[in-house]
Amino acid sequence: MLHLLQEGPAQTGAYMIAGYIVIFGVMALYLISLIVRWRNSLQDLETLQSLEEKALENSPHP
Amino acid sequence: MTTKPIALKILDLATILLLLVATGLVFFFAPLERVMGLVQKVFYFHVAAGWVGMLGFLVAAVVGGIYLARGDRKWDIVGLAAVEIGMAFAFINVVTGSIWARPIWNTWWTWDPRLTTATIMLLIYAAYLMLRSGIEDPDRRARFGAVYAIVGFISVPLTFFSARLFRTIHPVVIGTNQPGAEGAFDMTADMRLVFFFSLFTFSVIFVDLLWHRIRLGQLQDQVEQLKLKFNV
Amino acid sequence: METQKIEKSAPLVESVLSVESPPARSGFLRALWAIIWKDLAAELRSRELLSAMLVFALLVILIFNFALELDAQTRFNVAAGVLWVTFAFAGTLGLNRSMAMEKDRGCMDGLLLAPVDRSAIYFGKMFGNLIFMLLVEIIVLPVYSLLYNVNLFQPGLIVVTLLGSIGYVAVGTLLASMAVQTRTRDILLPILLFPVMIPLFIAAVKASGGFLQGIPMDEIWPWLNLLLVYDMVFIAVAFMVFDYIVEE
Repeated sequence: MLHLLQEGPAQTGAYMIAGYIVIFGVMALYLISLIVRWRNSLQDLETLQSLEEKALENSPHP
Repeated sequence: MTTKPIALKILDLATILLLLVATGLVFFFAPLERVMGLVQKVFYFHVAAGWVGMLGFLVAAVVGGIYLARGDRKWDIVGLAAVEIGMAFAFINVVTGSIWARPIWNTWWTWDPRLTTATIMLLIYAAYLMLRSGIEDPDRRARFGAVYAIVGFISVPLTFFSARLFRTIHPVVIGTNQPGAEGAFDMTADMRLVFFFSLFTFSVIFVDLLWHRIRLGQLQDQVEQLKLKFNV
Repeated sequence: METQKIEKSAPLVESVLSVESPPARSGFLRALWAIIWKDLAAELRSRELLSAMLVFALLVILIFNFALELDAQTRFNVAAGVLWVTFAFAGTLGLNRSMAMEKDRGCMDGLLLAPVDRSAIYFGKMFGNLIFMLLVEIIVLPVYSLLYNVNLFQPGLIVVTLLGSIGYVAVGTLLASMAVQTRTRDILLPILLFPVMIPLFIAAVKASGGFLQGIPMDEIWPWLNLLLVYDMVFIAVAFMVFDYIVEE
């Protein structure tokens, strides 16, 4: 072990970068998937709500 | 309903700030580990992600139980949200664990009990999602999801014990029998600060994402109900 | 359609109702026995399930023989593992078929209409599945012993096989009941079951191996403990949640 202390810590910078890419990357991907799904659902909702309004206008049957 | 509540906006801000601070602490405050070098810095968020994974599972199991007892739809939305988020972070945990192992023990995988259990947990999550996707009826989907979340959650500590017991009999061939073989290293006080701060930050991230995902679920429910009305 | 289903399970319901105002416990046992007997009787007539499981198990052993070309000593060392992989896969077959039969013949609905505690259905199915699994194991063990020149009929190993099978079937029946009600059905059961079954599997393999290799009881005990804990925990959990799986 002593030789390691004398040489200094291992050169593992590349792995650290890889690790952080995974951490932030996956979090970002999930966030993006949330945003995309939200936008899609919002769009669907607006479409359906306008359909609903049209249906109400077109059929004022007592 | 589709505008973000103020509390959530504040939480979003807090979450981002905490994450920035935590990252700063990891890179500029935590000392460089003597032996492992820079890759050790992955450890802080690696463990925090693992913690969130477990948290997700716990929440899913608990709200699963509540759903079975009460039958209120909203608990199912929470459960699915918890599983999704837990899964993402469990994935981060396992992959960063592998990345950490590679330079240290010259192998992409050690059958470390914690990592092994985390991987199995990930598989249970995936099975949960597959179970749900095979069911049309929303009520049945919610019930089955709840049951599996509970069954899965209970199996995790048992899996951990069995993996650990297995390991005491089959120690890591590559590494040594020292505690170092499991990635343990002496944490200085500075490291401990960053460690606990990371745990806290990721817990807040979990809550923030959970809230967002729940809102998404509610919106999707609304859309589904309207679709049924129009038989789309 | 509804009456058809009721008619099919008429004998079962009859047997449950035939005793006039039974005390609760004997009603439960009666239902339990009725369900087990229904499955056994059906199997005795068709023998589909058992033959399928058996042939499958033997094929798995055969495949392992060619896949793992090993010397005698290594074969002895992996015997426990190969055995339990065989049981796990053949067990899946049995569970799938057993629950599918309920669903397809509409027996499940009939059972649910009977004035019987839901847990009786669970335990009935579970014991039925257990019996099938044990029957297969009783045949596989001597075959394996012959093929691999290993004496598998040691009391310790029999106990482990029993405990392991109980745990497997406890969780398996629960999960199979869910899987059979989904679109993906058969494929889904192993996906649901295997990750959750791992502690049982590890314990069963290590304990069986331990008995085979004659290592001291001290070292085998933790595994047996784990088996017992697993069995108890999951029987309890299954008992509590089964209601929610079969309600309509």
